[in-house]
Amino acid sequence: MITIDRLCYNSKLRFVNAGEKFAFAVLTLCACVISRSFLISGFVLLTAGILTVWKGGIPASAYLKFLRIPLAFLLLSSLAIFLNVKERPMDLFALPLGSYYLTGSRASLFYALQLILTALASVSCLYFLSLNTPMPDLLAVLRRLHCPKLILELMLLIYRFIFVLFEISYAIRTAQNARLGNRDYRTSLKSFGALASALLIRAMKKSGALYDAMESRCYDGDIQVLDETYPPKRKEILGILVFEVFLYALVVAKKVLS
Amino acid sequence: MNRRKKLSTAGGFALVLSLAIAGNASAMHIMEGYLPGGFCVAWGVLCLPFLGAGLRAMRNALKENRRVLPLLAMAGAFIFVISSLKIPSVTGSCSHMTGTGLGALLFGPGAVSVLGVIVLLFQALLLAHGGLTTLGANTFSMAVAGPFAAYGIYRLCQKGGVNRRLSVFLAAAFGDLFTYCVTALQLALAHHTDVSFGGAFLKFLAVFAPTQIPLAVIEGILTVLILAALETYAKPELRAAGFIKED
Repeated sequence: MITIDRLCYNSKLRFVNAGEKFAFAVLTLCACVISRSFLISGFVLLTAGILTVWKGGIPASAYLKFLRIPLAFLLLSSLAIFLNVKERPMDLFALPLGSYYLTGSRASLFYALQLILTALASVSCLYFLSLNTPMPDLLAVLRRLHCPKLILELMLLIYRFIFVLFEISYAIRTAQNARLGNRDYRTSLKSFGALASALLIRAMKKSGALYDAMESRCYDGDIQVLDETYPPKRKEILGILVFEVFLYALVVAKKVLS
Repeated sequence: MNRRKKLSTAGGFALVLSLAIAGNASAMHIMEGYLPGGFCVAWGVLCLPFLGAGLRAMRNALKENRRVLPLLAMAGAFIFVISSLKIPSVTGSCSHMTGTGLGALLFGPGAVSVLGVIVLLFQALLLAHGGLTTLGANTFSMAVAGPFAAYGIYRLCQKGGVNRRLSVFLAAAFGDLFTYCVTALQLALAHHTDVSFGGAFLKFLAVFAPTQIPLAVIEGILTVLILAALETYAKPELRAAGFIKED
Protein backbone atom coordinates (compact mmCIF):
# COMPACT_ATOMS: atom_id res chain seq x y z
CA MET A 1 0.00 0.00 0.00
CA ILE A 2 2.70 2.43 1.04
CA THR A 3 5.80 1.44 -0.90
CA ILE A 4 8.32 2.92 1.52
CA ASP A 5 6.74 1.12 4.45
CA ARG A 6 6.83 -2.21 2.61
CA LEU A 7 10.44 -1.76 1.48
CA CYS A 8 11.77 -0.79 4.89
CA TYR A 9 10.52 -4.01 6.49
CA ASN A 10 12.57 -5.93 3.92
CA SER A 11 15.71 -3.85 4.29
CA LYS A 12 18.88 -5.64 5.27
CA LEU A 13 19.67 -2.77 7.65
CA ARG A 14 16.35 -3.13 9.41
CA PHE A 15 17.84 -4.84 12.47
CA VAL A 16 20.58 -2.29 12.96
CA ASN A 17 19.94 -0.15 16.04
CA ALA A 18 17.44 2.57 15.09
CA GLY A 19 19.18 5.24 17.17
CA GLU A 20 22.34 4.77 15.11
CA LYS A 21 20.49 5.15 11.82
CA PHE A 22 18.60 8.16 13.12
CA ALA A 23 21.77 9.88 14.33
CA PHE A 24 23.57 9.16 11.06
CA ALA A 25 20.72 10.45 8.89
CA VAL A 26 20.04 13.59 10.91
CA LEU A 27 23.70 14.60 11.36
CA THR A 28 24.45 14.07 7.68
CA LEU A 29 21.30 15.96 6.73
CA CYS A 30 22.36 18.92 8.87
CA ALA A 31 25.82 18.90 7.29
CA CYS A 32 24.21 19.10 3.83
CA VAL A 33 21.90 21.96 4.76
CA ILE A 34 24.62 23.93 6.56
CA SER A 35 27.29 23.59 3.90
CA ARG A 36 25.28 23.73 0.68
CA SER A 37 28.23 22.94 -1.57
CA PHE A 38 28.62 20.76 -4.66
CA LEU A 39 31.42 18.72 -3.14
CA ILE A 40 29.74 17.81 0.15
CA SER A 41 26.32 17.26 -1.40
CA GLY A 42 27.75 15.00 -4.07
CA PHE A 43 29.69 13.05 -1.47
CA VAL A 44 26.60 12.62 0.76
CA LEU A 45 24.35 11.70 -2.15
CA LEU A 46 26.78 9.00 -3.17
CA THR A 47 27.32 7.65 0.36
CA ALA A 48 23.65 7.58 1.33
CA GLY A 49 22.71 6.07 -2.04
CA ILE A 50 25.33 3.33 -1.79
CA LEU A 51 24.39 2.55 1.81
CA THR A 52 20.70 2.29 0.99
CA VAL A 53 21.00 0.31 -2.21
CA TRP A 54 24.00 -1.88 -1.50
CA LYS A 55 23.94 -2.32 2.28
CA GLY A 56 20.19 -1.97 2.69
CA GLY A 57 19.32 -4.06 -0.36
CA ILE A 58 16.67 -1.64 -1.65
CA PRO A 59 16.25 -2.24 -5.40
CA ALA A 60 18.14 0.42 -7.36
CA SER A 61 15.22 0.95 -9.74
CA ALA A 62 12.88 1.67 -6.83
CA TYR A 63 15.45 3.99 -5.29
CA LEU A 64 15.83 5.98 -8.49
CA LYS A 65 12.07 6.23 -8.77
CA PHE A 66 11.93 7.70 -5.27
CA LEU A 67 14.59 10.25 -6.16
CA ARG A 68 12.31 11.42 -8.97
CA ILE A 69 9.40 12.23 -6.61
CA PRO A 70 10.54 15.75 -5.67
CA LEU A 71 11.60 16.56 -9.24
CA ALA A 72 8.47 18.54 -10.15
CA PHE A 73 8.92 20.80 -7.13
CA LEU A 74 12.65 21.18 -7.81
CA LEU A 75 12.13 22.05 -11.44
CA LEU A 76 9.47 24.68 -10.80
CA SER A 77 11.20 26.42 -7.94
CA SER A 78 14.54 26.43 -9.75
CA LEU A 79 12.83 28.13 -12.66
CA ALA A 80 11.51 30.73 -10.23
CA ILE A 81 15.00 31.25 -8.92
CA PHE A 82 16.92 31.75 -12.13
CA LEU A 83 14.42 33.14 -14.64
CA ASN A 84 13.81 36.88 -14.52
CA VAL A 85 11.82 39.39 -16.53
CA LYS A 86 13.86 42.60 -16.69
CA GLU A 87 14.43 45.63 -18.86
CA ARG A 88 18.09 44.87 -19.23
CA PRO A 89 19.48 41.48 -20.30
CA MET A 90 21.71 39.63 -17.86
CA ASP A 91 24.95 37.78 -18.47
CA LEU A 92 23.82 34.18 -19.14
CA PHE A 93 21.02 34.43 -21.69
CA ALA A 94 18.20 36.76 -22.71
CA LEU A 95 15.07 36.26 -24.78
CA PRO A 96 13.34 39.47 -25.87
CA LEU A 97 9.68 39.70 -24.77
CA GLY A 98 8.27 42.98 -26.09
CA SER A 99 10.26 45.70 -24.38
CA TYR A 100 11.48 43.30 -21.68
CA TYR A 101 13.81 40.32 -21.60
CA LEU A 102 13.28 36.85 -20.21
CA THR A 103 16.73 36.56 -18.80
CA GLY A 104 18.97 34.85 -16.29
CA SER A 105 22.36 35.36 -14.71
CA ARG A 106 25.27 33.00 -14.28
CA ALA A 107 25.27 33.52 -10.52
CA SER A 108 21.65 32.53 -10.07
CA LEU A 109 21.99 29.48 -12.34
CA PHE A 110 24.91 28.38 -10.18
CA TYR A 111 22.83 29.05 -7.07
CA ALA A 112 19.90 27.02 -8.40
CA LEU A 113 22.11 24.07 -9.38
CA GLN A 114 23.73 24.09 -5.97
CA LEU A 115 20.32 24.09 -4.34
CA ILE A 116 19.14 21.18 -6.48
CA LEU A 117 22.12 19.06 -5.55
CA THR A 118 21.81 19.96 -1.85
CA ALA A 119 18.12 19.06 -1.90
CA LEU A 120 18.80 15.72 -3.62
CA ALA A 121 21.54 14.89 -1.11
CA SER A 122 19.23 15.79 1.80
CA VAL A 123 16.46 13.67 0.32
CA SER A 124 18.88 10.75 0.05
CA CYS A 125 19.58 11.09 3.82
CA LEU A 126 15.85 11.08 4.47
CA TYR A 127 15.47 7.98 2.30
CA PHE A 128 18.30 6.27 4.15
CA LEU A 129 16.29 6.70 7.33
CA SER A 130 12.83 5.91 5.99
CA LEU A 131 13.79 3.03 3.68
CA ASN A 132 15.73 1.20 6.41
CA THR A 133 13.81 1.96 9.61
CA PRO A 134 10.24 0.83 10.26
CA MET A 135 8.02 3.43 11.91
CA PRO A 136 7.64 1.68 15.31
CA ASP A 137 11.44 1.73 15.71
CA LEU A 138 11.47 5.46 14.95
CA LEU A 139 8.78 6.02 17.55
CA ALA A 140 11.00 4.26 20.08
CA VAL A 141 13.83 6.66 19.19
CA LEU A 142 11.49 9.63 19.62
CA ARG A 143 10.46 8.27 23.02
CA ARG A 144 14.12 8.21 24.03
CA LEU A 145 14.38 11.84 22.92
CA HIS A 146 11.55 12.78 25.31
CA CYS A 147 8.94 13.70 22.74
CA PRO A 148 5.64 14.50 24.57
CA LYS A 149 3.75 11.33 25.46
CA LEU A 150 0.49 12.49 23.95
CA ILE A 151 2.15 13.04 20.57
CA LEU A 152 3.80 9.62 20.66
CA GLU A 153 0.53 7.94 21.51
CA LEU A 154 -1.24 9.79 18.72
CA MET A 155 1.54 8.85 16.29
CA LEU A 156 1.29 5.19 17.18
CA LEU A 157 -2.47 5.16 16.71
CA ILE A 158 -2.37 7.25 13.53
CA TYR A 159 0.24 4.95 12.01
CA ARG A 160 -2.01 1.98 12.63
CA PHE A 161 -5.19 3.76 11.46
CA ILE A 162 -3.62 4.91 8.20
CA PHE A 163 -3.55 1.32 7.00
CA VAL A 164 -7.05 0.60 8.24
CA LEU A 165 -8.41 3.61 6.38
CA PHE A 166 -6.43 2.83 3.22
CA GLU A 167 -7.91 -0.64 3.17
CA ILE A 168 -11.43 0.74 3.55
CA SER A 169 -10.83 3.34 0.86
CA TYR A 170 -9.60 0.74 -1.63
CA ALA A 171 -12.66 -1.39 -0.98
CA ILE A 172 -14.95 1.60 -1.46
CA ARG A 173 -13.19 2.60 -4.66
CA THR A 174 -13.54 -0.90 -6.07
CA ALA A 175 -17.22 -0.89 -5.19
CA GLN A 176 -17.65 2.51 -6.84
CA ASN A 177 -15.89 1.39 -10.00
CA ALA A 178 -18.11 -1.68 -10.17
CA ARG A 179 -21.16 0.59 -9.98
CA LEU A 180 -20.08 2.99 -12.73
CA GLY A 181 -18.43 5.55 -10.47
CA ASN A 182 -15.29 7.40 -11.66
CA ARG A 183 -16.40 7.20 -15.30
CA ASP A 184 -15.79 10.81 -16.22
CA TYR A 185 -14.83 14.01 -14.50
CA ARG A 186 -18.26 14.73 -13.01
CA THR A 187 -18.81 11.29 -11.61
CA SER A 188 -15.27 11.07 -10.28
CA LEU A 189 -15.77 14.28 -8.31
CA LYS A 190 -19.00 12.87 -6.93
CA SER A 191 -17.37 9.53 -6.19
CA PHE A 192 -14.51 11.17 -4.34
CA GLY A 193 -16.90 13.16 -2.17
CA ALA A 194 -18.88 10.03 -1.36
CA LEU A 195 -15.68 8.09 -0.67
CA ALA A 196 -14.31 10.68 1.73
CA SER A 197 -17.53 11.08 3.67
CA ALA A 198 -18.08 7.32 3.94
CA LEU A 199 -14.47 7.02 5.07
CA LEU A 200 -14.96 9.58 7.84
CA ILE A 201 -18.13 7.88 9.10
CA ARG A 202 -16.37 4.51 9.15
CA ALA A 203 -13.34 6.03 10.86
CA MET A 204 -15.43 7.48 13.66
CA LYS A 205 -17.35 4.23 14.17
CA LYS A 206 -14.07 2.31 14.26
CA SER A 207 -12.54 4.68 16.77
CA GLY A 208 -15.46 4.12 19.13
CA ALA A 209 -15.13 0.36 18.77
CA LEU A 210 -11.38 0.60 19.26
CA TYR A 211 -11.79 2.46 22.51
CA ASP A 212 -14.16 -0.20 23.81
CA ALA A 213 -11.70 -2.90 22.81
CA MET A 214 -8.81 -1.10 24.50
CA GLU A 215 -10.78 -0.49 27.66
CA SER A 216 -11.80 -4.12 27.88
CA ARG A 217 -8.08 -4.93 27.78
CA CYS A 218 -7.30 -2.72 30.78
CA TYR A 219 -6.42 0.52 28.99
CA ASP A 220 -5.85 3.20 31.62
CA GLY A 221 -4.38 6.09 29.64
CA ASP A 222 -1.15 4.39 28.61
CA ILE A 223 -0.58 2.28 25.54
CA GLN A 224 2.07 -0.27 26.40
CA VAL A 225 3.97 -1.57 23.41
CA LEU A 226 6.68 -4.19 23.48
CA ASP A 227 9.85 -2.53 22.25
CA GLU A 228 12.04 -4.56 19.96
CA THR A 229 15.39 -2.92 20.33
CA TYR A 230 18.57 -4.12 18.77
CA PRO A 231 21.65 -3.17 20.75
CA PRO A 232 24.07 -0.81 19.00
CA LYS A 233 27.31 -2.41 17.78
CA ARG A 234 30.65 -0.83 18.59
CA LYS A 235 31.89 -1.23 15.03
CA GLU A 236 28.90 0.59 13.55
CA ILE A 237 29.10 3.45 16.04
CA LEU A 238 32.78 3.85 15.27
CA GLY A 239 32.07 3.90 11.53
CA ILE A 240 29.38 6.54 11.90
CA LEU A 241 31.58 8.61 14.18
CA VAL A 242 34.51 8.55 11.73
CA PHE A 243 32.23 9.46 8.83
CA GLU A 244 30.57 12.36 10.66
CA VAL A 245 33.87 13.77 11.95
CA PHE A 246 35.26 13.63 8.41
CA LEU A 247 32.12 15.23 6.96
CA TYR A 248 32.01 18.05 9.49
CA ALA A 249 35.74 18.67 9.08
CA LEU A 250 35.00 19.05 5.38
CA VAL A 251 32.16 21.47 6.14
CA VAL A 252 34.34 23.57 8.43
CA ALA A 253 37.24 23.55 5.97
CA LYS A 254 34.90 24.69 3.21
CA LYS A 255 33.52 27.55 5.37
CA VAL A 256 36.99 28.68 6.38
CA LEU A 257 38.39 28.57 2.85
CA SER A 258 35.57 30.49 1.20
CA MET B 1 8.83 47.17 -10.13
CA ASN B 2 5.80 49.04 -11.36
CA ARG B 3 2.41 47.44 -11.66
CA ARG B 4 2.48 46.78 -15.38
CA LYS B 5 5.83 45.12 -15.13
CA LYS B 6 4.70 42.93 -12.26
CA LEU B 7 1.67 41.86 -14.23
CA SER B 8 3.71 41.06 -17.30
CA THR B 9 6.16 39.08 -15.17
CA ALA B 10 3.40 37.00 -13.69
CA GLY B 11 1.60 36.64 -17.02
CA GLY B 12 4.72 35.56 -18.84
CA PHE B 13 5.55 32.90 -16.32
CA ALA B 14 2.03 31.58 -16.19
CA LEU B 15 1.98 31.31 -19.99
CA VAL B 16 5.33 29.54 -20.26
CA LEU B 17 4.53 27.12 -17.50
CA SER B 18 1.00 26.24 -18.42
CA LEU B 19 2.49 25.14 -21.72
CA ALA B 20 5.38 23.32 -20.13
CA ILE B 21 3.74 21.44 -17.27
CA ALA B 22 2.14 18.09 -17.62
CA GLY B 23 3.76 16.65 -14.54
CA ASN B 24 2.20 16.05 -11.19
CA ALA B 25 0.68 18.69 -9.04
CA SER B 26 0.62 17.89 -5.41
CA ALA B 27 0.12 20.05 -2.40
CA MET B 28 3.06 22.35 -2.09
CA HIS B 29 5.42 20.71 0.36
CA ILE B 30 8.83 22.37 0.55
CA MET B 31 11.21 19.50 -0.04
CA GLU B 32 13.97 18.28 2.24
CA GLY B 33 17.09 20.44 2.28
CA TYR B 34 15.56 23.28 0.31
CA LEU B 35 15.69 25.89 3.07
CA PRO B 36 18.87 27.15 4.79
CA GLY B 37 19.38 26.09 8.42
CA GLY B 38 18.40 29.42 9.97
CA PHE B 39 15.03 29.48 8.23
CA CYS B 40 14.29 25.89 9.23
CA VAL B 41 14.79 26.75 12.89
CA ALA B 42 12.94 30.08 12.69
CA TRP B 43 9.79 28.60 11.11
CA GLY B 44 9.87 25.76 13.61
CA VAL B 45 10.02 28.18 16.53
CA LEU B 46 7.17 30.20 15.03
CA CYS B 47 4.98 27.07 15.08
CA LEU B 48 5.66 26.25 18.73
CA PRO B 49 3.06 28.53 20.37
CA PHE B 50 0.32 27.13 18.13
CA LEU B 51 1.37 23.57 18.85
CA GLY B 52 1.60 24.27 22.58
CA ALA B 53 -1.90 25.75 22.60
CA GLY B 54 -3.22 22.83 20.54
CA LEU B 55 -1.63 20.28 22.85
CA ARG B 56 -3.00 21.97 25.93
CA ALA B 57 -6.51 22.02 24.45
CA MET B 58 -6.17 18.34 23.59
CA ARG B 59 -5.00 17.42 27.09
CA ASN B 60 -7.96 19.23 28.61
CA ALA B 61 -10.37 17.48 26.28
CA LEU B 62 -8.75 14.15 27.16
CA LYS B 63 -9.01 14.79 30.88
CA GLU B 64 -12.74 15.16 30.48
CA ASN B 65 -13.17 12.18 28.23
CA ARG B 66 -10.50 9.62 27.30
CA ARG B 67 -12.67 8.53 24.38
CA VAL B 68 -11.45 11.55 22.44
CA LEU B 69 -7.99 10.00 21.96
CA PRO B 70 -8.83 7.39 19.29
CA LEU B 71 -11.14 9.96 17.72
CA LEU B 72 -8.26 12.43 17.36
CA ALA B 73 -6.02 9.71 16.01
CA MET B 74 -8.67 8.73 13.46
CA ALA B 75 -8.93 12.39 12.47
CA GLY B 76 -5.17 12.49 11.87
CA ALA B 77 -5.20 9.27 9.87
CA PHE B 78 -8.19 10.58 7.90
CA ILE B 79 -6.30 13.75 6.95
CA PHE B 80 -3.30 11.65 5.89
CA VAL B 81 -5.35 9.27 3.77
CA ILE B 82 -7.46 12.02 2.18
CA SER B 83 -4.34 13.96 1.26
CA SER B 84 -2.63 10.94 -0.29
CA LEU B 85 -5.56 9.72 -2.41
CA LYS B 86 -5.48 10.83 -6.02
CA ILE B 87 -8.19 13.32 -6.79
CA PRO B 88 -9.77 13.83 -10.17
CA SER B 89 -7.98 16.61 -12.04
CA VAL B 90 -8.64 18.25 -15.35
CA THR B 91 -5.26 17.70 -16.96
CA GLY B 92 -5.06 14.00 -16.15
CA SER B 93 -2.02 14.53 -13.97
CA CYS B 94 -2.09 13.20 -10.44
CA SER B 95 -2.90 15.69 -7.73
CA HIS B 96 -3.83 15.55 -4.08
CA MET B 97 -5.89 17.70 -1.80
CA THR B 98 -4.39 19.10 1.37
CA GLY B 99 -7.34 18.12 3.53
CA THR B 100 -6.38 20.66 6.14
CA GLY B 101 -9.31 22.96 5.37
CA LEU B 102 -11.70 20.06 5.80
CA GLY B 103 -9.93 19.05 8.99
CA ALA B 104 -10.08 22.57 10.41
CA LEU B 105 -13.83 22.81 9.74
CA LEU B 106 -14.49 19.38 11.26
CA PHE B 107 -12.15 19.28 14.23
CA GLY B 108 -11.11 22.90 14.82
CA PRO B 109 -7.83 24.58 13.81
CA GLY B 110 -6.08 23.98 17.16
CA ALA B 111 -6.40 20.21 16.97
CA VAL B 112 -5.49 20.23 13.28
CA SER B 113 -2.22 22.03 13.98
CA VAL B 114 -1.04 19.22 16.28
CA LEU B 115 -2.39 16.49 14.00
CA GLY B 116 -0.86 18.37 11.07
CA VAL B 117 2.68 18.05 12.41
CA ILE B 118 2.25 14.31 12.82
CA VAL B 119 0.69 13.96 9.38
CA LEU B 120 3.48 16.01 7.80
CA LEU B 121 6.10 13.88 9.55
CA PHE B 122 4.43 10.73 8.24
CA GLN B 123 4.16 12.24 4.78
CA ALA B 124 7.88 12.98 4.83
CA LEU B 125 8.82 9.51 6.05
CA LEU B 126 6.26 7.34 4.26
CA LEU B 127 5.51 9.25 1.06
CA ALA B 128 8.64 11.41 0.68
CA HIS B 129 6.55 14.60 0.50
CA GLY B 130 8.28 17.35 2.45
CA GLY B 131 11.13 16.66 4.83
CA LEU B 132 12.58 16.67 8.31
CA THR B 133 14.50 19.96 8.14
CA THR B 134 11.61 21.69 6.40
CA LEU B 135 9.05 20.25 8.82
CA GLY B 136 8.80 23.58 10.65
CA ALA B 137 8.17 25.63 7.52
CA ASN B 138 5.68 23.11 6.12
CA THR B 139 3.91 22.93 9.47
CA PHE B 140 3.55 26.68 9.52
CA SER B 141 2.09 26.92 6.03
CA MET B 142 -0.07 23.80 5.99
CA ALA B 143 -0.95 23.01 9.59
CA VAL B 144 -1.13 26.50 11.06
CA ALA B 145 -1.72 29.20 8.42
CA GLY B 146 -4.05 27.22 6.13
CA PRO B 147 -6.37 25.75 8.77
CA PHE B 148 -6.61 28.99 10.76
CA ALA B 149 -7.39 30.95 7.58
CA ALA B 150 -10.01 28.40 6.52
CA TYR B 151 -11.61 28.37 9.95
CA GLY B 152 -11.59 32.17 10.16
CA ILE B 153 -13.19 32.54 6.74
CA TYR B 154 -15.84 29.98 7.61
CA ARG B 155 -16.78 31.72 10.86
CA LEU B 156 -16.82 35.10 9.14
CA CYS B 157 -19.11 33.81 6.38
CA GLN B 158 -21.42 32.22 8.93
CA LYS B 159 -21.67 35.51 10.81
CA GLY B 160 -22.29 37.36 7.56
CA GLY B 161 -25.20 35.03 6.80
CA VAL B 162 -23.64 33.39 3.73
CA ASN B 163 -25.20 29.99 3.07
CA ARG B 164 -23.32 27.06 4.49
CA ARG B 165 -22.18 25.42 1.23
CA LEU B 166 -20.78 28.62 -0.19
CA SER B 167 -18.96 29.41 3.05
CA VAL B 168 -17.46 25.90 3.15
CA PHE B 169 -16.29 26.32 -0.44
CA LEU B 170 -14.77 29.73 0.25
CA ALA B 171 -13.10 28.50 3.45
CA ALA B 172 -11.50 25.45 1.83
CA ALA B 173 -10.47 27.18 -1.39
CA PHE B 174 -9.04 30.28 0.26
CA GLY B 175 -7.40 28.24 3.01
CA ASP B 176 -5.62 26.36 0.24
CA LEU B 177 -4.67 29.55 -1.58
CA PHE B 178 -3.39 31.04 1.65
CA THR B 179 -1.19 27.98 2.24
CA TYR B 180 0.21 28.40 -1.27
CA CYS B 181 0.93 32.11 -0.70
CA VAL B 182 2.66 31.41 2.60
CA THR B 183 4.80 28.72 0.99
CA ALA B 184 5.77 31.10 -1.81
CA LEU B 185 6.63 33.67 0.84
CA GLN B 186 8.80 31.17 2.70
CA LEU B 187 10.64 30.23 -0.50
CA ALA B 188 11.10 33.88 -1.51
CA LEU B 189 12.44 34.86 1.91
CA ALA B 190 15.05 32.14 1.68
CA HIS B 191 15.97 32.41 -2.01
CA HIS B 192 16.18 35.72 -3.80
CA THR B 193 19.43 36.04 -5.72
CA ASP B 194 19.03 38.55 -8.54
CA VAL B 195 15.89 40.32 -7.43
CA SER B 196 14.37 41.98 -4.41
CA PHE B 197 12.30 39.92 -2.01
CA GLY B 198 9.06 41.19 -3.58
CA GLY B 199 10.15 40.15 -7.07
CA ALA B 200 11.12 36.69 -5.85
CA PHE B 201 7.75 36.35 -4.10
CA LEU B 202 5.92 37.17 -7.33
CA LYS B 203 8.07 34.73 -9.27
CA PHE B 204 7.37 31.86 -6.88
CA LEU B 205 3.66 32.71 -6.89
CA ALA B 206 3.62 32.74 -10.69
CA VAL B 207 5.52 29.49 -11.08
CA PHE B 208 3.19 27.51 -8.83
CA ALA B 209 -0.02 29.28 -9.87
CA PRO B 210 -0.90 26.99 -12.83
CA THR B 211 -0.99 23.96 -10.53
CA GLN B 212 -2.16 25.49 -7.27
CA ILE B 213 -5.08 27.65 -8.37
CA PRO B 214 -7.07 24.87 -10.08
CA LEU B 215 -6.20 22.67 -7.12
CA ALA B 216 -7.70 25.18 -4.68
CA VAL B 217 -10.94 25.27 -6.66
CA ILE B 218 -11.13 21.47 -6.78
CA GLU B 219 -10.38 21.28 -3.07
CA GLY B 220 -13.22 23.71 -2.40
CA ILE B 221 -15.68 21.69 -4.49
CA LEU B 222 -14.65 18.40 -2.89
CA THR B 223 -14.90 19.79 0.63
CA VAL B 224 -18.44 20.96 -0.10
CA LEU B 225 -19.36 17.54 -1.50
CA ILE B 226 -17.88 15.73 1.49
CA LEU B 227 -19.58 17.93 4.08
CA ALA B 228 -22.89 17.80 2.20
CA ALA B 229 -22.77 14.01 2.23
CA LEU B 230 -21.85 14.01 5.91
CA GLU B 231 -24.74 16.32 6.75
CA THR B 232 -27.12 13.91 5.07
CA TYR B 233 -25.80 10.69 6.56
CA ALA B 234 -23.86 11.49 9.68
CA LYS B 235 -25.36 14.22 11.81
CA PRO B 236 -24.36 12.51 15.11
CA GLU B 237 -20.74 12.08 13.98
CA LEU B 238 -20.57 15.70 12.87
CA ARG B 239 -21.92 16.75 16.23
CA ALA B 240 -19.30 14.62 17.97
CA ALA B 241 -16.57 16.27 15.91
CA GLY B 242 -17.96 19.72 16.74
CA PHE B 243 -18.93 20.84 13.22
CA ILE B 244 -22.63 21.19 14.07
CA LYS B 245 -23.11 22.91 17.37
CA GLU B 246 -26.77 23.90 17.63
CA ASP B 247 -29.92 21.74 18.18
